[in-house]
This record gives sequence, C-alpha cells and structure tokens, in this order.
Amino acid sequence: MDIANVFDWFWPVLAFLLLILWLWTLLRQRRERPPVQSSISGSAHERIEAEDMLKAAYVQQKKEGRLNVSDLARALGLSEALTEQGMDALVAFGWVEKRAQGGMRLTEKGEAHAQDLIRAHRLWERYLVDREGMALDAVHAEAHRREHTTTPEELERLDAELGHPAWGPHGHAIPGPSCQVPSSPGRPLSEEGEPGDRLRIVCLDEEPVPLLAQLVALGLKPGVDVEIVDREPGLLRLQVNGVVVPLASAAARHVYAVAEPRLPLELGRLPVGARARVVEITGGGTHQRRMLDMGFVPGAEVTVLRKASLGDPIEYRIKGTGIAMRRTDANSVMVEEVEDG
Amino acid sequence: MDRGAITVGVAGNPNVGKSVIFNALTGSRQHVGNWPGKTVERAEGAFYHDGREVRLVDLPGTYSLAAQSPEEVVARDYIISDAPDVVLVVVDATALERNLNLALQILELTDKVVIALNLMDEVRRQRWAIDVPALEKALGVPVVPTVATEGEGLQELVKAIVEVADGRRDPQPVSLDYGVTVEGYTETLQDDLNDLGIEERSRWVALKLLEDDPQIVEAFKQGDLAALELSAPDASPEALQALLRQAVRLREGIRPDAKVEIVRRRYEFAHDVVHDVVHRERPEEDSLTERIDRIVTHRIWSWPITLAIFVATFWITIKGGEIAGGWLDSLFSWLIQAARMWLASVQAPWWVSGALVDGFLVGVGTVITVMLPPMIILFTAFALLEDLGLLPRVAFNLDRPMRALGSQGKQTLTWGMSFGCNVTGVMASRIIENRKVQLTAILTSPLIICSGGYGAGIALVIALFGDRALPVMLSLVFLSLGAASLATLVLNKTIFRGEPGGFVLEMPPYRKPKWGQVVWRALVDRVAHTMWRAIEFAGPASLLIWLLGNLPPGAAFEQTPVGWLVRALAPLGRPFGLTGEMLTALLFTLPAKEIVVPALAMTYGLQTTLMESEQILNYLPQAWSSLSSYTFVVFFMLYLPCLVTLWTIWKETRSLKWTLMGLVVPLVTASAITFLVYQGGLLLGF
Repeated sequence: MDIANVFDWFWPVLAFLLLILWLWTLLRQRRERPPVQSSISGSAHERIEAEDMLKAAYVQQKKEGRLNVSDLARALGLSEALTEQGMDALVAFGWVEKRAQGGMRLTEKGEAHAQDLIRAHRLWERYLVDREGMALDAVHAEAHRREHTTTPEELERLDAELGHPAWGPHGHAIPGPSCQVPSSPGRPLSEEGEPGDRLRIVCLDEEPVPLLAQLVALGLKPGVDVEIVDREPGLLRLQVNGVVVPLASAAARHVYAVAEPRLPLELGRLPVGARARVVEITGGGTHQRRMLDMGFVPGAEVTVLRKASLGDPIEYRIKGTGIAMRRTDANSVMVEEVEDG
Repeated sequence: MDRGAITVGVAGNPNVGKSVIFNALTGSRQHVGNWPGKTVERAEGAFYHDGREVRLVDLPGTYSLAAQSPEEVVARDYIISDAPDVVLVVVDATALERNLNLALQILELTDKVVIALNLMDEVRRQRWAIDVPALEKALGVPVVPTVATEGEGLQELVKAIVEVADGRRDPQPVSLDYGVTVEGYTETLQDDLNDLGIEERSRWVALKLLEDDPQIVEAFKQGDLAALELSAPDASPEALQALLRQAVRLREGIRPDAKVEIVRRRYEFAHDVVHDVVHRERPEEDSLTERIDRIVTHRIWSWPITLAIFVATFWITIKGGEIAGGWLDSLFSWLIQAARMWLASVQAPWWVSGALVDGFLVGVGTVITVMLPPMIILFTAFALLEDLGLLPRVAFNLDRPMRALGSQGKQTLTWGMSFGCNVTGVMASRIIENRKVQLTAILTSPLIICSGGYGAGIALVIALFGDRALPVMLSLVFLSLGAASLATLVLNKTIFRGEPGGFVLEMPPYRKPKWGQVVWRALVDRVAHTMWRAIEFAGPASLLIWLLGNLPPGAAFEQTPVGWLVRALAPLGRPFGLTGEMLTALLFTLPAKEIVVPALAMTYGLQTTLMESEQILNYLPQAWSSLSSYTFVVFFMLYLPCLVTLWTIWKETRSLKWTLMGLVVPLVTASAITFLVYQGGLLLGF
C-alpha cells in the first residue's frame, strides 16, 4: 500500500475521534451541571407565589413590628382567606411560625430568605439599569421575574460584577427593606423641607409603576439634589437640574429625601480634587479586605488625584500613597465629602 | 552563645526596596525559584557576618498577612511554620502609615522582628524628619534607618539582626489595643483556647477567629491545628467546633464588622504613631511626582506619550538587537568554522560533525544570537521604566481600552514585552495579581510578533514582496495586535466568563533610577536564567531536526523523515492555502522562529542543514503566488510560540492544562485568521 494513502484516511479518522471526544466532554459537562433548584413542595409556580408572600410579610413585620393576617391581606389587596392560605404555605416552608393569639412571626430562615430575595431583586434592577440600559421604571417587573430563579452563586457573581453596589437604582439599600421603614435615611418629600432647603433624593417607591415613570421623567432620581421653591396645599414646586417642576403632594409622598450632605456617596462619583472621609466599605469578601489593607478604613481621608483620559480608572491619595482603581471598585467605598479649609 | 546559622525572613510591602536590601546583603550568592506548590517567586541567599552564616529568604511583597492571596499565604506560612530566627520588615519611610499595617501584623505573630526604615533619602529630599528612637519605642522593636540603594545603614541593620537572633537584644513588641469590645472578646476566646491547651500565639489565633480569617477557620473546621503549628493535646473536634461557634457569636457583637473594626483600629494606631514621629514641613503631596503626572496622565498627551514609550523601547530593542546580533553572529560563525575544522582534523565521521556542528551548535548559536540581545535590552529598558515609576502610569492610561476586551491595563505591559521577546512577555505577567488576567496575558503573548519572528519575517517579506514589503510588514503588526485582542476577548467571553476582574494599582512616586542596580537586575535576575532555559531546549531540538533531515544516510529527499512529514502534513494545510513543505518548515522553526528561511530550504529539498541559504529566497517568489506568500507569512507570525516560550509558560503556570492552552490558543487563532485571509483572498480573485 502506498504510504500517501495512509495519510488520506489518517486525518479524517483523527478528526472524527476528536469530534467524539469533544461531544463526550460536552455531554459530561451537561450531566455535571447541578439540577435546577427544585421547590420543597409543589411546583415552581407555587414557590414563586410563596416567595412573594414572604417578601410582603417581611416588609410588614419590619414596618409594623408585628405580623398578622388581616394587616397583610389589606397591604396585599387579597382576601383574608387567601392570605391565610398563603401563610399556611409559608409555615410549611418553615419561613413563618405561628404564635399565640393568632399572631405570626418570620423565622430566622424566613427572614434570611426574604433578605436574599430583596437583595436579588435590587441587584438585578441595578444590573438591568447599568448593564442593559433599561429604563428605571421598566426594570421592576423583569427583576421580579429573575429574582426567583437566581442561585446564590449567580447572585454573588452578579454582585461582584457590578462592583458590590450599595444602592439599587431606585435608591434602596442592597439588601434592605423598602423606603417606608423607619431605618431608611429618607423622609417623604411631602413632609420634609421648607422653601429654600436643598435636599438630596435617596429613594423612590417602586410602585405604582406609572408614577415612577413620571418621576423619573421629571429627573427625580436617587442621588439627584433638589431645591424646594415653594409649598402650597397639595402642591410642591421643586428646582431640579435648574428647572422648576411642580409636584403633587400625593406624588411627593412616594419620593424620599434627606438634607443634602447626610447620605454617604460612592467614592467613584467625586470630582478630581475633592476630599472625603471613608464611611464604610461595602461588599465584603476579598475586595473589601484588600481595600481595608490598602488603607481605606472608616475615618481615613482620601483625595481624588486624577482620572485617566477616558474618565476611568481614577487615582486616589490615601495614607500618603497613590492608588489607582476603576470606578466600579471605587464605588464600593462610601464616603462623606470634607469641606476645604 | 549559639554560633549556628541565622535564618532571616525579609517581608515588606511591594515596591519598598525589599529586593534591593536582599540583593545588597546577599550579593550573587542567591537562588531564585518558586515556593512549593505556588507560582510565587522565592529567592534565597546567604552572607557571612563575623564568620556566621546568615540565610535570607525574600518573602513576596504584600500589603497584609490576611491570607487573601497566594503571596500573603506564602509570607504568613513561612513566618509561622519555618519560624525564622528574625523577621526583617522593610518599610517605606515615606508611606509609613500604610507600611505599619503590615509591620504591626507581623509583630502579632513573632517577637523577633527588626524593622528597616528604608528610602530615607526620599524622606530627606522632601525635608521631613523621622524620630527613629521614638518609633523604636512606640513599636518595641529595633528600627534601623537605611538607604538600600546606597548601602547606607546596612551594617547597622546586620548588627541589629544578629543581636536579636542571639537574644542580646530582646524586642518587646507593642501590643495593640483594639478597643474594649474586641479586646474583651479576644480575651474570652483566648481563655477558651487556653482551656484546650493552646497557649502559643493564642492572642493572634483569637483575633483571627474574630476576623473570620478563612485559613484559620478552615483549620479549626478540619481539626487540623498542626497546619498552624499549634499543639492542642486536649482539643477534640467537637471542642473546636464549639469554639468556632463561640467565635461566630462574638463576631456578631462587633459593629459594624469585626474585620473592619480590627483593621481600622490598627490603622488608627499607625496613624497616631506616624503623627508622633514624623515631622513634615511641607504637605505630603510630592510636587515633582505631581508635575510629571500632570503631563504623563494628561487627558490628551497621555496617548502620544504612552505610544512614544512603547515605540522608543522597541526601536532601541530592534536596532540594538540587530547590531549586537551581528557581533554574536560572527562569533558563532567563527566558532562553527573552528569546530568544523577541528573535527575534520581529527577525522571524525560525517554524522558526528554533522550532528554536533550543523545540528546542536547551529541551533544553540541561532537561539542565542536571536534572543540574547533583545532580551538584555528589553529587560533593562523595562526595569528602568519600572524604577522610574512609568510602568504603572502606562497601565493606568491603557486600562480603559483594555477593559473593552474584558482585561485590564497591566496586560498591555506584557504585550509590550512580548514585542521584544515572547518569553519576557510571559514572565512579565507575574506583575498581574489577578489570576484570570494573568493567564490571559500568558496565553495571548505568543500572538504578538517577537523580534525573532520580526527579523526573520522581514527577510522573507522582502524576498517575497519586494517593493510592497513595508505595507505587508505593517499589516502583519496590526494583524498580530488584532489577533491578540481577539483572543483576549474570546477567552474572557468563554473560559474566563463571569470571573470578576478588578484593577487596583499602587502608583509609586517617580524616583531616579539606580543604573547599576537596574542592569544588574536585568542581567542576573532574568537574562542569565532565561538564556539557560533557551539553550537547554534549542540544542536538542535542533539536533532532532538535523537527524530528521539526514537519516537514513544517503537516502533521497522523499525517503527522509522530512519528506514523509511534507506529504503527511499536506492535506492539513489545504483549507488554509498552506503546503506540506510550509507546514514542515514551520514545525522546524519551533526552537526559534529565526530559522524559517533555512527550514524552508530544507523542506524544499534544496539542502540538508539549517545553515543560511540564498538559493531558497530566489526560488520561493517563483514557486508561491502572492496570496499563498501572504497566508504563509501571516500564519508564520502567529501560529505557535517557540519552544522556549512554551517552556516558560510551563514554568510560570506549573500546569499542563495551561501549557497546552498556550499551544492551542495561538494555533486556533492563527488558523482562523489564516483561513479568513486565504478564503477571502480566493473570493476576491487573488
């Protein structure tokens, strides 16, 4: 047999073998992938419903300090019977425990799970706004869909990829309860501030969605500074980005603000030359530890030295040394601006 | 008195002159290797003081001992497990606060510490004053001011080290006060530890348990206290678990976070110390650094400056490489002539002289001629830029564009080095601490045209394209950059997907480079080391190629292994417009790309050795169409790293998987691009 013929079939055979090998590894990978998280009881749909109920119960308990079926039913707009049924499911999941006199309380497990869900929701919102460019008023539904199917590992990866953000796009802390809870730094615009006061918006209610869309369209977003021009019964005039806009008090109830410098800023937002004091490092993990060791400890003073020509990375002076980092990394450092002089 | 050898671990932040002190003390008596199981460099050396041997181990530069990175683990494990007689902590006197964070952590681990207060010349230049006795008193250990680059203070440093080792000086390190809560909890945990029979370093272990240190917690979980060099005779696994639970409970009680609180307190202490001992006349901003940075990182000027730094470096590398390469070339020609004449005079059989001279010697000579000059120049140039403080600025300027590829600024530095020599590029990837980016840099470096490939490529392109050589060459450079970018993007979208990349980089002040030291570091640390690897590989490989082309003796070209290879590889190259001769020649250029022209001569059966040949350069333009010429040079520039690069990848990653990826990534990228070029060319009717 001619030697050349050998090579004529040699390469096809080799290619075939490689193809088999490749397919095999693909199949193996598929098999190794963990099964989709299955619900403890019933279908995935039931679990989603139960999780939504859990979140509502969590908010209720935070806000009122107690939990009972009738209050929850009112908040959810459901009948008491339906709510009761839902709560039974939560008890079955081990998220809620029944107490004497018809009272109920979230278990430790339930509270943790609720916080995880809220965290997932806000992180997804942040992702959709920052990375996919979705409008602020459109992300709620999508995030709501995704929060139920996110595994803890995916969530951590998402958190890391976003640079461990401290705030959701609507200004809710991640994780943390809704705007209305007493621990939130903001107060409703309908109650806070006299004409002439400068306030910083910290939070918007996520619902009703149409109102949220209008507020965003007016430029009322978390992190934006506004000045109260005047206050009439039922109406409020605000100066936003140099424009005076009227706002009905009913709408102003859904906007939360603080007196301007109180809210810690993300370090990445400061302009060149600004000086600030570190308040906290968010995010945890290796990144937090590294930042701490570099000298970003609470109370340390940091100066913005310069930005690279495309605005990122940014160089800071901390503890006598220059440290350059990306804006997303810098945003994990919360600071208070220091006045010069 | 104990007259045995003294072992000293040298610790410190990165970039504080740790290695300078190490080199100054040990001179040439040092050995560079890796830490067992880690790809972190380990340098050891020794010197004699009054007839006593003092052994130094250069620990990796770290900001902390928190065991968050391989470097930190290595440094901490060394101090705990190897229990050196003395730990020498080198600190940057101009950034004392940040440096004390590490020093104070070391003081918690061991009493036997000497601190070298380095860079005192910078302190004097900025007209600061540091009260050394006060610092010594505040820390409780000997502090010696030094200017390592001038050798100032080294005598005193050695004296202090020996005194501490011998116990003639007994350091009493300061015990930090972490505040009522942390101290209270630490005491509780310490008592529990003592109950289990753990006495040694119990305060440190207690603090680490509060901090939730992953390594310590894991050791307790596994019940493997031996890993921490702790003996706990009375400790059952259950007791350790209970202790862990206790630690978790206590940790919850510290607001806002135990880890943050502990680091904050440590920095607060450092701040107070610095406030007491450092007297500044001027504010801390270094005005010179400020002025230079204003230009180098300017919104517009940063671009031409960055470009100029790269272009100037390569121009010097290529020009200098040509000149020095010429000298080396004549040296080896003479050596080869001499060897041949000598072998003829002793009447050695043809296969002995052939194998030795045409195989081994020619191979080694080619690799040295091609690689040594650019390597020396490039390493020196980059060491100089690093010493000046320019490299971090380049990484700073180029980070944003690199982020579009999913990477970060430091990778451009490794690419820059790769333009001179892929080996240097792969080695330079050490500066990247993020594992994912580091691997990307290693795997994409071979796609960059190195000066060897560039030199050989120019000869080939001129022969093949004549007047059009310049645009062809330029297109190749851009193609190579494009290929490297493409590969980076694809790697980050596939195997490295979703892994976080961050970019935190210290920007040291500009400093006047110390020439002697720079050249020394380039020559000894790197070049000598690398060249030896190169020779180890190139010699045997060239010998093998010679054997392939010349066995069996006297056979016709078709019957030699080379002839076989040509036919076997032919079908593989067809979709890419490459012939069997081309592929076989490329296989032969694995030791060094430089030998491509003689390799082609060999595979076309024009000659049987790898010596230069004019004949083939005249033959090729007639044999190849311009399209197949172009596809050949494209594939040649990109297809595979040379063997030395591959060997270096193995050395740096210590992983068969990533070394194989070092083959696969360039091969796949090159095949894809060549395929597109060839098929596109056919479609366009070339």
